[in-house]
Amino acid sequence: MRFRPTFRATEFNLLLIPGALAVVGSLTIFLVGTGTVDWTWGDIWISLAAAAAVLLVSITFGLRGFRGDQVMFPITATLAIIGMLMIQRLHPDLVEIDEGYSTLAQRHLLYLGAGLVGMWLIVMLSGPLKVANWLRKYKYTWLLVTLALQAATFFIGTEVGGARLWINLGPIQIQPSEISKITLVIFLASYLDEKRDLIGSSWQVGRFKLPPIPYLVPMGIMWAASLMLLVILNDLGPALLFFGIFLVMLYLATGRLVYVGVGMGTFAVACWLAWTYFSRIEVRVNNWLDPFWDPYGFGYQPIQSDFALSAGGIFGTGFGQGHPTFISQVQTDYIFSAIGEELGLLGTLALIALYFLWVVRSYIIAIRADDGFVQLCVAGLATSLGIQTIIIIGGVTRLIPLTGITLPFISYGGSSLVTNFGVLALILYFSSLPRRV
Amino acid sequence: MTTALRTLSILGAIALLGWGLLISDEISDARWLLLLGGAWILLVFGTRITLPAGLPTFNRTLIRSGMLIATVFIVISAQLVRIQVVEQDAIYYRTGVDAEGEVISNPRLVSQQLDFERGRILDRNGTVLADTVEQDGIYYRSWPVASAWPVTGYYSPMMYGSTGLEATYDGELSGDGRNSFENTFRQLLGMTPQGNNLVLSLDADLQTQAMTMLGDSRGSVVVLDVETGATVVLASNPTFDPNQLFTTGNDPEAAAYWNSLLEDPSTPLVIRANQGVYTPGSTFKTVTAAIAIEEGYAQPDSVYEDSGQLNIDGRILPEFNRPDESRDQWTLSEGIAWSLNVVFAQIGMQIGGETYWQYGPELGFGVTIPYDLPVAESQMANNRDALSDTNMVADTGFGQGQLLMSPLHLAMIASTWANDGRMMEPWLVESITDPDGQTIWTASPDTWRQPVSAETANDVQEMMVNAVENGSISGARVEGYVVGGKTGTAEIGNERSHSLFIGFIGDPEPRYAVAVVLEEGSGGLTSAVAIGRDILVATIGRYPEQLTSGPLETAYVRSQFRGDWVGKEPEIW
Repeated sequence: MRFRPTFRATEFNLLLIPGALAVVGSLTIFLVGTGTVDWTWGDIWISLAAAAAVLLVSITFGLRGFRGDQVMFPITATLAIIGMLMIQRLHPDLVEIDEGYSTLAQRHLLYLGAGLVGMWLIVMLSGPLKVANWLRKYKYTWLLVTLALQAATFFIGTEVGGARLWINLGPIQIQPSEISKITLVIFLASYLDEKRDLIGSSWQVGRFKLPPIPYLVPMGIMWAASLMLLVILNDLGPALLFFGIFLVMLYLATGRLVYVGVGMGTFAVACWLAWTYFSRIEVRVNNWLDPFWDPYGFGYQPIQSDFALSAGGIFGTGFGQGHPTFISQVQTDYIFSAIGEELGLLGTLALIALYFLWVVRSYIIAIRADDGFVQLCVAGLATSLGIQTIIIIGGVTRLIPLTGITLPFISYGGSSLVTNFGVLALILYFSSLPRRV
Repeated sequence: MTTALRTLSILGAIALLGWGLLISDEISDARWLLLLGGAWILLVFGTRITLPAGLPTFNRTLIRSGMLIATVFIVISAQLVRIQVVEQDAIYYRTGVDAEGEVISNPRLVSQQLDFERGRILDRNGTVLADTVEQDGIYYRSWPVASAWPVTGYYSPMMYGSTGLEATYDGELSGDGRNSFENTFRQLLGMTPQGNNLVLSLDADLQTQAMTMLGDSRGSVVVLDVETGATVVLASNPTFDPNQLFTTGNDPEAAAYWNSLLEDPSTPLVIRANQGVYTPGSTFKTVTAAIAIEEGYAQPDSVYEDSGQLNIDGRILPEFNRPDESRDQWTLSEGIAWSLNVVFAQIGMQIGGETYWQYGPELGFGVTIPYDLPVAESQMANNRDALSDTNMVADTGFGQGQLLMSPLHLAMIASTWANDGRMMEPWLVESITDPDGQTIWTASPDTWRQPVSAETANDVQEMMVNAVENGSISGARVEGYVVGGKTGTAEIGNERSHSLFIGFIGDPEPRYAVAVVLEEGSGGLTSAVAIGRDILVATIGRYPEQLTSGPLETAYVRSQFRGDWVGKEPEIW
């Protein structure tokens, strides 16, 4: 195989921004901690390494002749480095609260490294292995994997904080919903691309025009599975995410809003039932509308999150100068509040803008793609990340009830970081396939 | 047409959001969310742009999806603007109460109190009385000198607030005072703000000696520099351990200690030296004598009849203090020397209630005494009318009646007779230094009141010296110094009484004044006199010269810092 090496100038130049951010950010954190202006390069080697790593990824992409999108990776790197800095900054404070956090920052770096390596391998190997073809071909395998992961969570999952979201695999815990969101998108993309015309058409029964019911059966299974998730996992987050992916992809493929309408209607009814019958959901709704109903119990976290966000104001307290660790579990669900406290409204709006850019850039890649499956796949993956962001930020800011889900690329958590880099890798790979324009 | 509708709905959404943010402090979170939902629907409609007819389905739906996500992000941004800017203060300072009545508030509010280097409190020789040590980003406060606890008070921002100097000088100690500009700058640089230090006129060694003399007895010892009003000793027992009240969080041990203080019948949280009031007893005879001389009713050698008892409107007042029961004629000076109640009952009636009442504020009764710690108000009587009763005036004459005085006030009275009738404003904080040790403020002595002339004061002073040298207070005599004094017994009913002593020491010009109060059952008058004498000797032995001599420059600096003094001539003293 012959490579035509290239220099990915746009990507490299854009990556200088997160690189500088890493160095300045960790310098800030280090100097705030010591209260001096004395430092050596050794104090910030981690961020130098991170900056070097992302630049190295870009250079090696070029050397291997990779000609995919040059904007996605810099956006992702910026998000990941903000997350890395935040975890580095929270680490000493968290250790003070609980010794169990003593390796938190190191583990996060490890996951970040694993994510980068995984992404690099997927991007490099997908082309030669013609991954797009077999992703499309084994669509029912992906469906089975998705369902199996859900079932596994149900049968061997561990409950953390009342929600059954995790599977214990010896030393590591994985969150299967992070993986199954990818397999779900791939299945839906493949299935909908194949049956697009059929599902988009109508089924004539006598005088009535009905949707093509036989082709909607797998869709129905997915729909039921999403609702089951809500019941089984006792949590709204993954269910909302899966259902959102499901509806958006159905709409993207068929252009029929009626599916969206019916889906949202049934989901609303399901939510109402869940609210009525499951105390946990009721707790979440109460927390959403007024966390002060139980200030030292269930409402404690959202109250502390509100305090943190309001402490930030427009400009924030500055990196390392706030008290985000008043929020328990700040490193996962509530890391957005920590950013809000220390970087202020400017920081949170910038973050939202970055996520929006990420989604829109993916959409552009999707529109340019030559293949219907690739189009749906990229759009679906991008949408899943967008929905996930909306669910967690909306939950943290009490726009909607909070549901346990990670903030992509920023929250602490191995399975989330690695799989989201996997999503990026797939999108990068798809962007390198032949284009329409 | 549709374009116009879309524009209208976007404008409507903007108006709705703007209006919602404007009135957001009046509406509940739920109502705001409803409003936000309405704005979102308008936005979704407004962004539903017309797309070219020939566009493939996927492109069309993708653009629509992107628009939808954009509207959601706009709504999230509006929510962030509300939380972080518009409603910032309301949320930041919001408090709630749980079912058990436990209050929840923003922990940042209290943690700010532990987040900086609070200034230290030092005695006049640099001994640290209150210290701040940083450990892992938290600043721990400690009070190493136990005898100074009544003066420093406690500092417990997480649980019980503060008292003593920690409370009165909180602004200086926390850096909110003079160098606040510098602290804002430090915060911008990410450095912790620093408080200013207090340097007291107190001497830690003398303070410890005084506390040791008190031992287990309840009571207080106050030593003032008669010419400046500087507090050298302010001992008070019982007291409390501020170290046990400082916490970095909710500490059950501190709570238990606090409750034990509250339940203690001896009320250790009340610092008797400045916050306690006692009947002055015979120590008040010096006041009666001073008023009588000042008003021309008597001279030190004026003679009064005292034959063992006095009939006051039918009430028989007995006399137990005559050294020679065969003598019926006694001078005013002898009345002080032997503490003759019958003599002073007559002088009291001579003076009359109205004159006493008028002298009250001049002598510091019924007014707030300015001090670096809160001072309980002294009283001449419960009210003006009470003094119209003859028996009440007679009792007031020898220090009973409805009189109440704080030990600090007693020491000020003693100082007045020793300082040519000038009652100095008492003070504890001699100077304030910034974190680098530079003095930024120095106390300057000030005459607070001049109730009597120098001549009158000197008469009283001589009579008090006479009482020690030739009278009943021989226990206060000190070889080589001039000592004046007056004892007092405060009768509190049921044969119980407190023992008091006021006095001064000089070489020969009076330098220091003392007030000692020993509550009932604490060794009586002999102990009170001995404590007073010993602490005076120790003080003058250590500081034979006048305590403070403020240079002109520092006095001038003060006028720049204290707005209310600007424009006045700095006093030279």
